[in-house]
Amino acid sequence: MKVKSPNRKAARKTTPEKLRIPYNYLDRQYWLADVEHIWKGMRELVRTGDFTIGAPVLEFEKRLAKFVGTKHALGTNTGTSALILALKGLGVGPGDEVITQTNTFYATVGAIVAVGARPVFADVDGQYQIDPASVERAITSKTRAVLPVHWTGFPVDMEPILDLAKRKNLLVVEDACAALGASRDGRSVGSWGHAAAFSYHPLKQLNAWGDGGTIVTNDDRLIEWLRLYRNHGMVNRDEIAIWGINERLQSIQAVVLNGMIDALPKAIRRRMEIADRIEKGLADVPEVVIPRRPRGVVHAYQIYVIRVRRREELRKYLEAEGVDTRVHYPIPLHLQKAARDLGYKSGDFPVAERQAKEILTLPLNQYLSNAEVDYMVDRIRRFYQR
Amino acid sequence: MLAMDGSLIIPGLMNPTATAAPSKITVPYVNLPLQMRRVKAEVLSAIERVLESGTYILGPEVQEFEKRFAEYCGTKFAVGLNSGMDALFLVLKSMGIGPGDEVITVPNSFIASAACIAQLGAKPVFVDVREDLNLDPALLEKAITPRTKAILPVHLTGRPADMKPILEVAARRNLPVVEDAAQAVGATYHGKRVGSFGLAGCFSLHPLKNLHAFGDAGAVTTNDEKLHQHLLKLRNHGLRNRDECEFWGFNSRLDTIQAAALIVKLQHLEEWTEERRRLAHEYNTALQDVVGVPVEGANTRHVYQTYVILAERRDELQQHLRSRGVDAKIHYPVSLFQQEAAQSLACRNEDVPVAATLGKRILSLPLFPEMTREQVQTVIDGVRSFYRP
Repeated sequence: MKVKSPNRKAARKTTPEKLRIPYNYLDRQYWLADVEHIWKGMRELVRTGDFTIGAPVLEFEKRLAKFVGTKHALGTNTGTSALILALKGLGVGPGDEVITQTNTFYATVGAIVAVGARPVFADVDGQYQIDPASVERAITSKTRAVLPVHWTGFPVDMEPILDLAKRKNLLVVEDACAALGASRDGRSVGSWGHAAAFSYHPLKQLNAWGDGGTIVTNDDRLIEWLRLYRNHGMVNRDEIAIWGINERLQSIQAVVLNGMIDALPKAIRRRMEIADRIEKGLADVPEVVIPRRPRGVVHAYQIYVIRVRRREELRKYLEAEGVDTRVHYPIPLHLQKAARDLGYKSGDFPVAERQAKEILTLPLNQYLSNAEVDYMVDRIRRFYQR
Repeated sequence: MLAMDGSLIIPGLMNPTATAAPSKITVPYVNLPLQMRRVKAEVLSAIERVLESGTYILGPEVQEFEKRFAEYCGTKFAVGLNSGMDALFLVLKSMGIGPGDEVITVPNSFIASAACIAQLGAKPVFVDVREDLNLDPALLEKAITPRTKAILPVHLTGRPADMKPILEVAARRNLPVVEDAAQAVGATYHGKRVGSFGLAGCFSLHPLKNLHAFGDAGAVTTNDEKLHQHLLKLRNHGLRNRDECEFWGFNSRLDTIQAAALIVKLQHLEEWTEERRRLAHEYNTALQDVVGVPVEGANTRHVYQTYVILAERRDELQQHLRSRGVDAKIHYPVSLFQQEAAQSLACRNEDVPVAATLGKRILSLPLFPEMTREQVQTVIDGVRSFYRP
C-alpha cells in the first residue's frame, strides 16, 4: 500500500511553509522505489528455500564485479567483514601496522584490530580524504598496508597512494564502503587496490534491507582462499580445509541488491545534481565551506558533508525548522576512548581535528525534491542572515 | 555450486557422501519451503512493517525478539547476532580468551564449535563423548590444565548435554561454562531450558535449525549483566552511542527483518517442536529393534533438530535408503577432530575412541513436521527392510 510522501503536497506550494526533511529516507524509498520485483524475488526465494549463498548471491557477485571492473567479487555479511577478510586474506596480522585516516567510520579501524594488526592514523585534506604526505610520515618498518577510505563517497586520488605503496612495498586495501558508484576519470573505486570493500548498509547509496557487503579483487588466489574462509573453511559439505568463519551475504539481501543496482547510476547523478544545487545556493555564504568537486569525479555523496561556523547552533536551528542533520563525526578516531592505548593526543592531526568541529551532514538522497533542497538552502541562509 | 546446507561443492572433487546410483528423492532431508508456507502471510506482513518504517538496523523488532527469546530460554537477557558462529566467537572474545588459552569442547560437533576457539588463537581441547553424542562428564576433569579458560559443552542434535555433573566439575575448578546450544533451541534439562545454565548460551537461527530465520542469524542468552552490556557494544562497533567508541568492535547484528520473522516463528516453536518429537518417537518405536535410536536422558527434552540413529553397516544403509528415495545424511562423515584444519591439534582416534567409532555409525534420517504419512512410512520401511529383508 503506497502512500504519497507528505512533503510532496507541501512542496508544491510556492511559499515554503515548514517542511520536514528527515535524515533517514528509507521509508520513502520503500514507497517510491519499484519494490514489486524485489518482493517477487523474495517470494521465489522463500519458495525454493535457497537461503545460504543462493543463486541471488552468485548473480549479485557477478554484477558487482562487472560494475566495479574487477575480476572477482565475493558477498559478505557486512562491509566490516569485507574489510576484515581483505586484510586477513592478504596476510595482514599481528605485528603489522596499517595506516588509515582518523576521520573515518569506526569499522575501518575495527577491521584492522580484528586481524590483530595495529592501526596507525593519518591526517586528511580539504576533501576529507587521506593525505599522502601524512601517510608517508606515518610509515615505519612495521607498516604492512595503507587503507585509504573513499570517505563520504568521494573517490580518492589513488595515484599518490599507489606510488607511495609501490616505493615502500606496501599493500593497498580500499575502504570503499561509502563509495559504490563513485569514479575518477571513468575508473570505479575499488579497482585500484589489492582488494577493496563495499557496504550495503541501509544508509548507503546502494542499500540492502539489513547488513550486507562485498570484497572485490583481481587476485585469483586471494578469492579462492576467501571463498573457503567466509564459509567455515568448507571445501565441500564434509571437508574443512582451514578454520573459517561465517560471513556470508544473505540471499534475501542479494535479492534486494539485484533489484536496486541498476538504478544506482541514476541515483548518483541525482545526488550530484542536488549537491550542485546546494553549492550554488550557498556559494555566497562565507560561513559555509563546500569542497569543490574536481573535474572527472563522480561523487557518490553517500553523505553530504559541508563545513560551517557555529555548527551546534545551526544544527539546533535546522532541527527546529524540520531539517534533520548529522555529524560524521564530532570526535576523530585517534581521540576516542577505544584508541587510548595507541598513544595519540589532541593536535596530532590538526586538519581532521579542526574539521571535526565544523563538519555537518545535510540530508541528501535521490528521493528529495528540488523544493525540499531549496528549503534546506533557504533555512541555512536565514540562519546566517543572508 | 552450493548444497542446501551452505557447503561449497567443487565439481569433480570426491564427495564421500555421493552415492553411485542417483534415484528420485521422494523423502528429502528437509523441506524448508513447506514450513515457510505455514507462516508465510504472518512473516511477510511482519517484514513489510519493518520496510515501511525504514529501521533496518537494530530496529524495535530486534529488541522485541531479544526480550521474547530471553523469556523463552529463561534468562534475563538475549542479544541478536549475525550467526551462531558469531555468538560463540563473541562470547569467548568477551571472556578475554586468546592465544595460549585452552577451551574444552567435543570432537564430533559442527565445525563452528572448534573454529570459534581457533579464531581467537586459542586451542580447542577435545573431550570424548558418550553414546548420547554429548560430552562425557567423567572425562572432563582429566582434560583440564592450567591453560583451560572455559568449558564449551554442545547440545548436539538437540539433545541436552548432561549439565549437572559438567557444572559440578566446572564449579570445583572455577571455570566458566558456555553452552553451544546452536542445535538445541527449546531443549530442556531438569526442567530448565538449554542456554540458561552457564555463563552464556549460544544459539544458531540458521535456516536448518528448529527456530530459524530466512538467512543467517544467531543469539546469545545470558543472566550476566556485564556480558550483556558488553555484547551490545561488541556487536555494534564497540559504540556506546553514535559518537563514542569505547573499544574497537565488530559488526554482527541480527537484521531487523529477520527479527520480525523470528518473532512470528517463535510463537509456533513449541507446536513445531512437539510435532518433531512425535515423529521422533514414532521412529524410535518402529526402529529400536534394528538400529540404535536416540535415547532421551531422564528428565530431559530432546528437540530432535537432527534425528540420528546408530547403525551397523551405515554406508550401505545410506545407499539402500537412497535407492528407496530417502535422502539420509551424515553429521559428520569426517569428524571435526579428523579434519585437515584440526591437524595441528593432534587428536587421534585413540584419544576420543567413542567419537571415532560413533562417527562410523551415525546416520541422520529425514524428520520434519510437514512430512506426509507416506514419507514417514517410506523411511521406516527403508530402514527395516535393510536389516530384515
